[in-house]
Amino acid sequence: MGAEEDKKLIIDTLKGKKTKTKFYLKDFNNMFPERRPREVSKLVNEMVAEGLLEYWSTGSTTMIGLKGAGIQHETEDSDQ
Amino acid sequence: MGYDAKNPMKDRITDIGPRDYKEFLPPVIKKNFGKWLYHEILEPGVLLHVSESGEKVFTVRVGGARLMSVTHIREICDIADKHCDGYVRWTTRNNIEFMVDSEAKLKPLMEDLEKRKFAGGSLKFPRGGTGAGLTNIVHTQGWLHCHTAAIDASGVVKAVMDELYEDFGKMRLPAHVRISLACCLNMCGAVHCSDIAILGVHRKPPMVDHDNLANMCEIPLAVASCPTGAIKTTTVDGKKSVEVNNDKCMYCGNCFTMCPAMPLADAEGSGVAILVGGKLSNRITAPMFSKVVVPFLPNEPPRWPQTVEAVKKILNAYAKDAKKYERLGDWAARISWERFFEKTDLPFTEHLIDDYRFAYTTWRTSTQFKF
Amino acid sequence: MVKRKTPMLDELEKGKWPSFVSDIKQEAESRNETDVDLQTPKEVCDDLLDLLELSFKDREGHWKHGGIAGVFGYGGGVIGRYCDRPEEFPAVKDFHTLRVNQPSSYFYRTEFLRKICELWERRGSGLTNMHGSTGDIILLGTTTPQIEEIFWELTHNLKQDLGGSGSNLRTPNCCIGKSRCEFACYDTQEACRNLTMEFQDELHRPSFGYKFKMKFDGCPNGCVASIARSDMSVIGTWKDDIRIDQEAVQAYVAGEFKPDGGGFAGRDWGPFDIVKEVIDLCPTHCMAWNGKKLGINNRECNRCMHCINTMPRALRIGKETGASILFGAKAPILEGAQLSTLTIPFMRMEEPFNEIKELVGKIWDWWSEEGRSRERLGELMQRKGFAKFLDVCGVKADPRMIKEPRSNPYIFWKEADIPGGWERDIKDFRKRHQK
Repeated sequence: MGAEEDKKLIIDTLKGKKTKTKFYLKDFNNMFPERRPREVSKLVNEMVAEGLLEYWSTGSTTMIGLKGAGIQHETEDSDQ
Repeated sequence: MGYDAKNPMKDRITDIGPRDYKEFLPPVIKKNFGKWLYHEILEPGVLLHVSESGEKVFTVRVGGARLMSVTHIREICDIADKHCDGYVRWTTRNNIEFMVDSEAKLKPLMEDLEKRKFAGGSLKFPRGGTGAGLTNIVHTQGWLHCHTAAIDASGVVKAVMDELYEDFGKMRLPAHVRISLACCLNMCGAVHCSDIAILGVHRKPPMVDHDNLANMCEIPLAVASCPTGAIKTTTVDGKKSVEVNNDKCMYCGNCFTMCPAMPLADAEGSGVAILVGGKLSNRITAPMFSKVVVPFLPNEPPRWPQTVEAVKKILNAYAKDAKKYERLGDWAARISWERFFEKTDLPFTEHLIDDYRFAYTTWRTSTQFKF
Repeated sequence: MVKRKTPMLDELEKGKWPSFVSDIKQEAESRNETDVDLQTPKEVCDDLLDLLELSFKDREGHWKHGGIAGVFGYGGGVIGRYCDRPEEFPAVKDFHTLRVNQPSSYFYRTEFLRKICELWERRGSGLTNMHGSTGDIILLGTTTPQIEEIFWELTHNLKQDLGGSGSNLRTPNCCIGKSRCEFACYDTQEACRNLTMEFQDELHRPSFGYKFKMKFDGCPNGCVASIARSDMSVIGTWKDDIRIDQEAVQAYVAGEFKPDGGGFAGRDWGPFDIVKEVIDLCPTHCMAWNGKKLGINNRECNRCMHCINTMPRALRIGKETGASILFGAKAPILEGAQLSTLTIPFMRMEEPFNEIKELVGKIWDWWSEEGRSRERLGELMQRKGFAKFLDVCGVKADPRMIKEPRSNPYIFWKEADIPGGWERDIKDFRKRHQK
C-alpha cells in the first residue's frame, strides 16, 4: 500500500519548490521513477478528488499544483 | 433540488459521457441504418438518400454561423418540430441539416427556411454547401473569445462568405473547395489541410511588463512555456522578470497564456496569412498540406477587404483554369507554382520560401521549371 | 438600458451570409425582455458586442487566459477567460467556456436542444458554438460560480457530460457514418461512442503529457478530417472487390445518371465521359471500359474512392469492411504539421472494439513513459523512430506503411540482430593485422 506515504512525498516535494507552484504530470512521474506513469496519474487525480491538489489548465495542457497555491486569476480579479 | 455549494459532492454524477446518439436518430434514419444504397444532390443544398428498403430521406443543408444564440437554436427547433418531427442535425462544417422522409414535405420546408431573415437583413438559413462548390468555413474563436487571437474569426468569415455567397449555393467549381480559418498559429481548429486557409499570425515578439511580471506570473512557468527556448530570467531595476530573445521567437503566444504580463498582439504586427492547396480526402491524390502563398495582410476590420480580395483571386483563377475533379492543390501542382502566382496575380516574396525545420524538402532540386 | 454603439460591427449585419452580429443582438434583446430568472448578468451580450467593437477598433483582442480546468475533480471541459477591461465591460468580466460532449454525428431531438437552451439562457450568456472544432457543443461565456451549477444540471437533468480539454483525451468525433452514408465501412458512431465511454477517466482527468485526439472516418473521403488532426485516425476501408452494377454504369454513360450524384450541376461540363472522368483519373490505372462493361482489377485498387464518388449508383464499397488505423497527425505547432501514418492497414471494427482498445492502451503506456511534457504522439514517433513505434504496437513492418524506403543507409542496427554481437577481441584482430 503506502498510499499515504506517497501522498506525503508529493506534498512535501511540491512544498519544497520555492519558485513554482504548477507542475506537469511528468514532474510527478519523476518522483516515482519505478512506477508506471498511469499509476502515478491515478494517484494525482485521486489527490485532486480529495482536495489536496488542483488542476490548472492552459487550455491545451493541464498542470497540477497544491490547492490554492500560486497566482490565481481569481484572486487577481477579486481585489477590485 | 440542485447544486449545493456547501455539499458539492452530494449526489454528484460524473463520467456519464454524451447522450446516446441512438436516442436522437430520426425514425427513417434509424430504420435504414447501414442500408443506404446511393445518394443524389437534387439541387444545391438538397440531398436524397435511397435505402435498400426503397425508403428515402431528403435533407436540406443550410449554412449557419458557428456562433449561435439560444434564440436562434430555438428557431431551428421550431422548424424541426414543424417539418421534421423534432429531429435536426449539424455537420462537421457548421451547417445545419433538416431531414424529411418524403418529397411532399420538402418544398414547405425549403420555403419556410428561405423566408427567414435576421433583423439586419442577412439570411438565417442559406441553402447550399453541397457538391463541387464552396461549403461553410470552419473557424476558431477570434477576438470574440480568444486571448491569443491575431485576427477576428467570425468577422473575417462573415466578410469572406458574403463575397463568395454565390458559390455556396451554385456547385459551379471544378471540385469541392474547403476554406478554413484559424485565428493564430496554434490552430485550435486545424486549417493546415484546407484548399484555402486563412490564418492569423503575429509578427512582434511579446512585450514584457517588467514592473508587474513578478506579481502576475510564475517566472519558471513563463520560461518553460516557450517552445523555442527564447525566454530566460533576468532582473530589471531590481525586479525579477524575463527577457525574450526576439530572434528565436515564433510569435505563438504560449508565454502570454501562462503569463499575462507578456502581451503579444499588436494592431500593426498581427494580421492574416493565406495558405492554399491542402486536402484531406484520399480521392485521386493523397491528402496534403496547404502552402503559404500570402505571408501577411493587415487586419482591416470590419470587412478585411484585402483578405477577401486575395481569397477571391485564388478562387477565381482556380475556377477558371482547373479541370473537372481537380482540387485546388492538384491544380497548382499541375500548372506549377510559378504559374499559380501568375494566374492568381499574387506577389511572390522571399517569405514564402521555407526556412523552418524541413525547409530543404520544398526547394527546387531540378531544372524542371517554366519560364 | 443604454443602447450601445457598434458602428463597425453593424457593417457585418449587411450581406447575405448569416450575421453573427445580428444573432448576438437578438439574444441581447431577448435577455432584456425575458422574465427568466437570469443567473448571469443581463447585459452580457451587450457588453460582448461592445468589447468586440473595441477589438475591431484597436485591432487587438481583449481577453486574458484563466487557469480554470474543469468542474471539481475534472481536469478538462472548461476554458477560463477574463476580460482585460473589466470596469467598462463588467458583464463579461469573467466569461468562461464549457465544452459539452456532443452525441455522435450531431443528431439531436429538439426536446434535448431546448433543455440546453433553457439552461444556457439562465446560467450563461445564451451564446454557443454549434459546434467547436473538436466537436463539442461549446457553451460560450459564463461566470465562475455558475460552472458547478451548470454541471449539476447537465448531469442530473440532461444526462449529459462535459468534453475534454488540456492534457486529456479530447472529445472523440466521427463522421455521419452508417446513419446516412452508403460509403461508411464501419459504424463510426458506435465506435466513437463506445471508446468515449470506455475512456471516460482519461477524457475528464489528465493522464498524459499533452492532448490526445481520436477521430472516426467511415471511408477514405475523410469527412471528419481524422487524418490531419487526430493522434489516432480510424478510417474505414474494405479488402474485397468494389461491387459493380453494370446496368447503372451504362446509365451514367448514357447520361441518365449524373456524376457525383449531381454535384457538378452548376456548370456545363459537357456530357459525361467515363474514360476521361473515371478510367483515366484512377490513380492506380486499375480500371478499364470497353464500351459495354466496366472492369476493375481490384487487387491493384488503392481505394481512393474517386470512381465510387463519381458513380455512386453503379459502384459500392466491398463487403469485407473494417478500418485502417493511422497515428500521429497534428497541426504545425511546433516541429511542423504531420499527417497520420498508416500503422494498421486493416482491422475489423466490431463491438466491443477490444482490439483497438488494447492497441490504444499500449500506445498510451509508451507515450506516458517516453513522451516529454507537451509532446504529441506524432512528435514522439518521429523522435523515437517508426520501427520503435511498431514494436510498441506489436506490429510487423510492412511496405504499406511507407511512401518509399529510406534513402540514407544509416540504419541503427540492434546488437542482438548481428551474428556474434558487437563485442570483439582486439588481440585476435592483431593476430591478423599489424599495428
